[in-house]
Amino acid sequence: MDIHNPKLCEENYFNKFYLEHVQHASNFAFYKCGDKDHALDLVQDAFSKIWENCSKIDFTKAKTYLFTTVNNLFLNNVKHHKVVLEYAKAAPYIDKTNESPEYLLEEEEFKKKLQNAISLLTDAQREVFLLNRIDGMKYREIAELLNVSQKAVEKRMSGALKILREHIENI
Amino acid sequence: MKNENNILKWLNNELSEDEVKDLKQSENIETLEKIAFYASQMQAPQRDAQQALDAFKDRKMSKKETKVIPLNFKTFMRVAAVLVVMLASSYFLFFNNTKSFETQIAETQNVILPDASEVILNAQSTLKYNKKTWKDERDLQLSGEAFFKVSKGQKFTVNTRVGTVQVLGTQFNVKERPNYFEVQCYEGLVAVTYNNKTLKLSKGKSFMVLDGTIQVVDDFNAENPSWLRAESSFEKIPLNQVISELERQYDLKIDFKAVDGSQLFTGTFTHTDKNIALQSITIPLKLSYKIEGRNVTLYNYGK
Repeated sequence: MDIHNPKLCEENYFNKFYLEHVQHASNFAFYKCGDKDHALDLVQDAFSKIWENCSKIDFTKAKTYLFTTVNNLFLNNVKHHKVVLEYAKAAPYIDKTNESPEYLLEEEEFKKKLQNAISLLTDAQREVFLLNRIDGMKYREIAELLNVSQKAVEKRMSGALKILREHIENI
Repeated sequence: MKNENNILKWLNNELSEDEVKDLKQSENIETLEKIAFYASQMQAPQRDAQQALDAFKDRKMSKKETKVIPLNFKTFMRVAAVLVVMLASSYFLFFNNTKSFETQIAETQNVILPDASEVILNAQSTLKYNKKTWKDERDLQLSGEAFFKVSKGQKFTVNTRVGTVQVLGTQFNVKERPNYFEVQCYEGLVAVTYNNKTLKLSKGKSFMVLDGTIQVVDDFNAENPSWLRAESSFEKIPLNQVISELERQYDLKIDFKAVDGSQLFTGTFTHTDKNIALQSITIPLKLSYKIEGRNVTLYNYGK
């Protein structure tokens, strides 16, 4: 059985694969369910599926398998939470030179609006938007990960931008 | 969003600086810029990858330790044994059509057969027949002694280890004991098959085999066997057979090593009192007896 893929079944390789992708997979799970602990559960379950089937999974496709599994597990027990993402600590403002309190207040307000607006996106839009923005993935990579066409990813992305923009500019 | 494609490209880092400048001039994308900028400062809950891996390992270990119950051959055998017992017992319960009657020492039993024929079983005898095939052929297995009053009908067959008795409708007695086979016809006609030879007995005739040899027996006049009246009658019968019968009627152990077991006895003993019965055997033969509980010893009188 191991002839096809001796790597993933070896503990060292698996550990490496795990450490490499756990954060990424956890992000993905979080974009979907919005719950920190639930997201980690999904990821751990997905990794154990991979470990159980290590001999059947092509090492090069393991990442796709991981994300697909997270997605499937999520769909199996849909427990929706409002997806609210925190900002990284000590994140700079867009205009680093402007330090007037008025500007800072404005920017903080904008950030709050953005947080709310993101939770209003559809699951598909949010997932694409956040994978692009937070994880810095290209549309092509996202398409591969979600097993959809790049065109579909772009459509979701522009839909997301439209909603965010409208929401933030109107209110 | 006029330049939707360009905006998408810009967010995908596919535009050169000049192209971004053009985009900014052609459309007010300040909000989008902010959205894009601040969104990328967001983060999902951070994981300590190593810690998560350790937790995963723990979980994997505990998960892997699911109790495995191997397909145990012993368990399989146990189940198989139970099944066999159940099947066998149900077979005997539902498919066993053999009806059986058995009498113990000093016991007689009246049996009415499905065709209203009557059988009286003497002590220590067994009678068997098949309920299912009874309608087609009246076939019985007998071990011991029994008196038959057969109602008219099909052939009625009594099988014993020694010989077969066939009748149509009559009354007869069959006695099959170790080294002893006797058929007595009380009414009608009885066909006895012994060693592939068939002999017809009419009323009052007997057929007897003692130790493998056919005996010549006198005719009798009785209406029915004496044992039905709680007596055993003998006509020139060796003493050892008489004693065997006595042991069957009373729960006794008779030691007759001291006397001649082959001497012939003619007479009757009762089934109701063992002292009278012993006396009625011993006095005509000039013997004496001693009783100690169940054990009886016979010895020659005067010696």
